[in-house]
Amino acid sequence: MLKDKVFAMEEKKSSSLLSVRSITKSFHTNKVLKGIDLDLDEGDVLALIGGNGAGKSTLMKIIMGIYQQDSGDVYLSGELINMSKPSVALAHGVYLVPQEPMLFPNMSVEENIMMGFKESPKELQKRLATLMQQLDWKIDVNRKAESLSIAEQQLVEILRGLLRESRILILDEPTSSLTFNEVQALFKIIEDLKSKGIGIIYITHRLNEVFTIANRVAIMRDGLITLSGPVTNFDHEMLVEGLLPDALTHQETKVVAEIKPIEYDTMKPIFKVENLCGNGFHNINLQLYPGEILGLAGVVGAGRTELATSIFGRDEIISGKVYIGEEDITGMSTREVMIHGLNYVPEDRYAHGIFGISDVSVNTTSSNLVKKGKFFVNDKDEKDITQRYIDLFRTKVTGQDQIMGSLSGGNQQKVVIARALATEPRVLILDEPTRGIDAGARGDVYSIIHQLKSQGLAILLISSDFEEIVELSDRAHSMYFGRINGEFSKNDITQDNLMAAAFGVSKRRIANA
Amino acid sequence: MRKQLNIPRATTSVIFLVLMFLGVGLVNPRFLSFSNILLTLNSGVVYTVVAIGIAFVIITGEIDVSVGATLGLTAAISGTLVRDGHMFLGIVVPLIVGIAIGVINGFGVTYLKIPSIIMTLGTNGIFRGMIYVYTQGKWVENLPINFKGASQSLIFGTFTRFYFFTLVGMVLLYFFMTKSRPGRYFRAVGDNPNGANLLGIPVQGTKFSAFVISGLFAAIGGLMYACRVGFITPIAGMGYEMKVIAACVLGGISLTGGVGSIVGATVGAAIMASISRVLVFLGFSSDYDNTITGILLIIIVVFDAVIQKSSAEKMRKQRLAAKIVQGEEVTDA
Repeated sequence: MLKDKVFAMEEKKSSSLLSVRSITKSFHTNKVLKGIDLDLDEGDVLALIGGNGAGKSTLMKIIMGIYQQDSGDVYLSGELINMSKPSVALAHGVYLVPQEPMLFPNMSVEENIMMGFKESPKELQKRLATLMQQLDWKIDVNRKAESLSIAEQQLVEILRGLLRESRILILDEPTSSLTFNEVQALFKIIEDLKSKGIGIIYITHRLNEVFTIANRVAIMRDGLITLSGPVTNFDHEMLVEGLLPDALTHQETKVVAEIKPIEYDTMKPIFKVENLCGNGFHNINLQLYPGEILGLAGVVGAGRTELATSIFGRDEIISGKVYIGEEDITGMSTREVMIHGLNYVPEDRYAHGIFGISDVSVNTTSSNLVKKGKFFVNDKDEKDITQRYIDLFRTKVTGQDQIMGSLSGGNQQKVVIARALATEPRVLILDEPTRGIDAGARGDVYSIIHQLKSQGLAILLISSDFEEIVELSDRAHSMYFGRINGEFSKNDITQDNLMAAAFGVSKRRIANA
Repeated sequence: MRKQLNIPRATTSVIFLVLMFLGVGLVNPRFLSFSNILLTLNSGVVYTVVAIGIAFVIITGEIDVSVGATLGLTAAISGTLVRDGHMFLGIVVPLIVGIAIGVINGFGVTYLKIPSIIMTLGTNGIFRGMIYVYTQGKWVENLPINFKGASQSLIFGTFTRFYFFTLVGMVLLYFFMTKSRPGRYFRAVGDNPNGANLLGIPVQGTKFSAFVISGLFAAIGGLMYACRVGFITPIAGMGYEMKVIAACVLGGISLTGGVGSIVGATVGAAIMASISRVLVFLGFSSDYDNTITGILLIIIVVFDAVIQKSSAEKMRKQRLAAKIVQGEEVTDA
């Protein structure tokens, strides 16, 4: 296969600027890195791509000394280094520009850049001025970091790294919040740094950038580097293929369900979003029919969660309309939206989803609190509802009084879904419903979703696991930088199509490549 | 350049202080007399010292509510030792105790990861209780005249020796915090701990030393208290934590960390000391003192929080909007 061919081409060099060897890292039982080898030479721009949760950021944090690896080694210019803390990495000329700039908001640009140096401020000021002249950057060093745009903050971060005379610069999605012109300026700087022999690891979610700026590319998936080599050996299609899993890993979870085709011609949509604009998304149009699962694909940060939470009344809507049936629910409070028949199962269970130290029963019925207009909570009602969903979803609990936090991730998710259903919604938004839960529980969640669908519930399924969307959805949309950039009918929902759209590659481009 | 960040906030506080004096002066002109102004500043010396110490903790984004008990305990220890004729020990031992309390607080917050409000609330209780145990609930009295007299001697006929040394200390610490490398860590750590860690700044170590500084300065405050007041009751220093936290906040130090200066703490402490005297000159009972301090504290903190929240919200929207714009350009390309 194509992947094996390319994989063999990568030769290990011992005196690379940076070499990492068989790095592994686990968080609790979750294996994030499963043996990573990576090399970076002087003047290299290594594009590192991979889906969410592939382990890119974890790897970079290990190289930067923020995390410590469980096993494996980091070499700089052939020398084994114990990256015990960030100051060690800094002393060896490694600098990470994080995706979200980490400036000191209350300090001036100059203070920000000069923080943590041993040299005298006078010398630093001189070097900074020279550096900015070389780069032809004009930024007022007396401005407060708080007042800078994200792009300017990013430039300050890069200046910091350069002033430290770093030999290895790690850029974590540097262009994700830059405008077109700023991206061009950044690329010029990278070219310049490249010619000075600085090695750059460039993490990106945009495949086009790989071909513009990088000379080498590595693809990470599921804690492993699955593909790497000179950029000239690859085209868009090969990269998209490298991002896809080897085989259908979820096969064991396949649910055999009769799929009743939805009669789009005769049915009326239960849920409509028209030209909706808000913080993080723009001009979104959606229609959702009873008994339909609409997949919404994309990478993290594409604006899907922002869209869902805005519809759910948690963030403002700038313009556009949202309807349930014929009713306009635009801009309603969360409580009103729930009463009108829409519920949302959030992406991050721990932050928004569960009451960890309450029991299962309280968690299941807590969203009912807004619906039941009574002051006192009816104990018997609570027990009945809870038991119904425990039985229905085959949730593994010792009893209704088990503390939520002691449940496994999959069972917690079942309770969270049950809670959303306890309000008897007509429309359900599921945000990453199977993230972080094991295969068996995933199968259960899938059959729950099928069950709900057959009962006529309209489901908007937000997922970064494209296999999940392929498996469950009747139709799918893809989101890319706050906009819907692809709409797929049942037959067109393939992982290739979704992956390409999520990474901003158009079909036409793949066809040409 | 750098001053542009600190001075405006401290300047506002100075203006507030001047306006307060002028306002009260309109009602009662005697308030504006040179001797009264000096008396007011000199009387605030204990607040000033403790406020300067706690400023280090607040600037790193933590809080220390144990300073009142630290002050009381060190004052009691100093008082008993001096009374029994151990002048040298009476100065050194309280300072060591203050440092030790700072070490305990710092250890709890940085290594055991106990929230600083809880940790120091606990130690506040412990050391307040220890004052009762140590003094058996009795007042420490009959301090030698030369000890008490130390607080009275004037320098240049204006400031007391204590206030003068405090001002010198303030200037030195101001330069330490703004010019020296480790001194600048305090603001960096309070401003963005993750960012500071990424630059190799010892975040936990900096917080730890802030607590030690706070403990030491509370002990110095305790010594001055013993000298000035001349007797120590078991409730000595009670409520000082609110006074000095309010002083810092009034002086432009943000409770969320990263903003403010030692000068601000000093000005804020002067305002705190003035409020008691203002009440007297306006003919109010000084019973209003704590209530007014509390109200001022909350007004300023709420004002700060509102500003911070709106700027954070603005940043978030800007960031999300930037992504959409970018998407447009890519798809059109």
